[in-house]
Amino acid sequence: MSVIEQIVGTLGMPNFALVMPELIILITAFILLIVELFTKNKALITGLTIAGLVISLLPLFQFLSNGIVGNTFYDLFWVEPFSTIFKIFLIMATIFIVLNYTPYFEAKKTFYGEYYYITLFALLGLMIMLSAKSLITFYIGLELSSVSVYILAGMFRKHYKSKEGAFKYLIIGGSGTAIISYGIALIYGASGSLDFSEILNAIMNKYDIGTIAGLILLVVGLALKVAAVPFHQWAPDAYEGAATPITTFMATVVKVATLAIIAKILVLAYPLHIPYWSFAWSILAALSMIIGNFIALRQRNVKRMLAYSSVAHTGYITAALAAGTETGISALIFYSLIYIFMSIGGFVFLSAMEKSNNWSNDINDFKGLAKKNPMIALFMLIIMFSLLGIPPTVGFMGKFGVFIALIEQEIWWLAVVLVVMSIVSAGYYLRVVIYMYMYEPENDKNINLAIPEVFTITFMSIFILLSGIYPTIFFEISRALAITLTSLI
Amino acid sequence: MVPYEYYVALSGLLMVLGLVGIIVRRNLIAMLLSTELMLNAVNIAFVAFDMKVGDVSGQVFVFFILTIAAAEAAIGLGLIMAIYRLKKDVNTETITELKL
Repeated sequence: MSVIEQIVGTLGMPNFALVMPELIILITAFILLIVELFTKNKALITGLTIAGLVISLLPLFQFLSNGIVGNTFYDLFWVEPFSTIFKIFLIMATIFIVLNYTPYFEAKKTFYGEYYYITLFALLGLMIMLSAKSLITFYIGLELSSVSVYILAGMFRKHYKSKEGAFKYLIIGGSGTAIISYGIALIYGASGSLDFSEILNAIMNKYDIGTIAGLILLVVGLALKVAAVPFHQWAPDAYEGAATPITTFMATVVKVATLAIIAKILVLAYPLHIPYWSFAWSILAALSMIIGNFIALRQRNVKRMLAYSSVAHTGYITAALAAGTETGISALIFYSLIYIFMSIGGFVFLSAMEKSNNWSNDINDFKGLAKKNPMIALFMLIIMFSLLGIPPTVGFMGKFGVFIALIEQEIWWLAVVLVVMSIVSAGYYLRVVIYMYMYEPENDKNINLAIPEVFTITFMSIFILLSGIYPTIFFEISRALAITLTSLI
Repeated sequence: MVPYEYYVALSGLLMVLGLVGIIVRRNLIAMLLSTELMLNAVNIAFVAFDMKVGDVSGQVFVFFILTIAAAEAAIGLGLIMAIYRLKKDVNTETITELKL
């Protein structure tokens, strides 16, 4: 007792109010862990998950409205508007994804209660990672989410591809972890600290070998986690193998959170090394755009095509990082937030379609979909146009923001690559639309849509259209966040 | 006393060995072992830099890495079991189904 008293006396109690959202998610996950043992009631499990997620939104909105900023857990955990806004979007995305779990898993006979609480653990890891003030917090959060996602990816019952994809993800993600932690070790050796602001003070604009090697390893490891070419090999396999709702989770929530933490670490700990890391990201972004789009062109499987398109989108988003300015960071935030909506729409559409018998995700399965179900085909058309970046949709605004940021910094070659590769991407996005609208239905595959799926797809496509016509709210959020992030240094 | 640079060199060597192992080995278990080797190389690097800096946070980090390595090994072995049950094989040359 006296030892505990001593520790608390010298360090003080951590402020638990600041970790309330994370605590709520953790408690929900543990409640689910117990409840799932006793009941197989799918509605109850889904309801509990959604309830926990919704309740965890309340303290986050309270932080925003009261402007609460602060550290807790001895300067390891940091609540500030940048992470708070991203957490709100991640939680809302997870709500939409979890809603679509039950119909899919029931149809595929692979329902496990584990899906729900491991998703919550992965989300918890991402939230901890976003609140990092020190590389320790960042590392623990990243690993909590990675380890949870390895399990999620490999849990598809009696499905060999799921295991193979998950194992590839585990091996490549594990080497990514090792590379990131080696980078952290080198940074620690060069600066003597793991805290972002102390790293900044210790290294300033030093260019010694330890600092630069640490930075390079960190960038390589993060590029691996976010599936940028040439470290993307795991992504298409893991995305194709996993159950489609899980793919949705991996391609949206995990990816966007990783992109946000990349911006946060590089801006907060390395603001004086911008020429170095922006050069590294411009190479990675150009490769991702070129290779992702060209390989996507030759895919006949739509799920794998969307996986490669997700690699290409990593390229578009990290191109904003190459600009390295406030406009660039703002474009990155804008694009990653809207990418959540586009990607959820596309993947949930696939998961809804996969439920019909002998649907193999092949492009031929899409033939004549517009005749059989005009509404859902129209929504898919909007989502595809947005991923491609055609003006009335919000996808255009995202690419436009990145383009402006690149022009401002006069990185012309990358801006040209961005535009040319967007045109190349029309080849595969429009192919889906062509197959849906310009062919007669060949087969009598009956399409049965569940209510959550219809709701998600409708919401996402209407949202994409509305925010494409009126993008001001998102522009304001991302501008404000970019200013906050650069002022936090 | 051995200077810390030697330990860093050793850790770098182990790291490269692990990376080469992942690339050249064709057995699932050997690949998993290689990732563990890389994580342990990081542990050596942390302890070595800790010696240089004269702080304890590097040693604390080592404990986190150990925990994470254990978790990853557990999941990796579980997946290898599942793969072996479905395919009766652990050689990547023969069991790969997902290709470019």
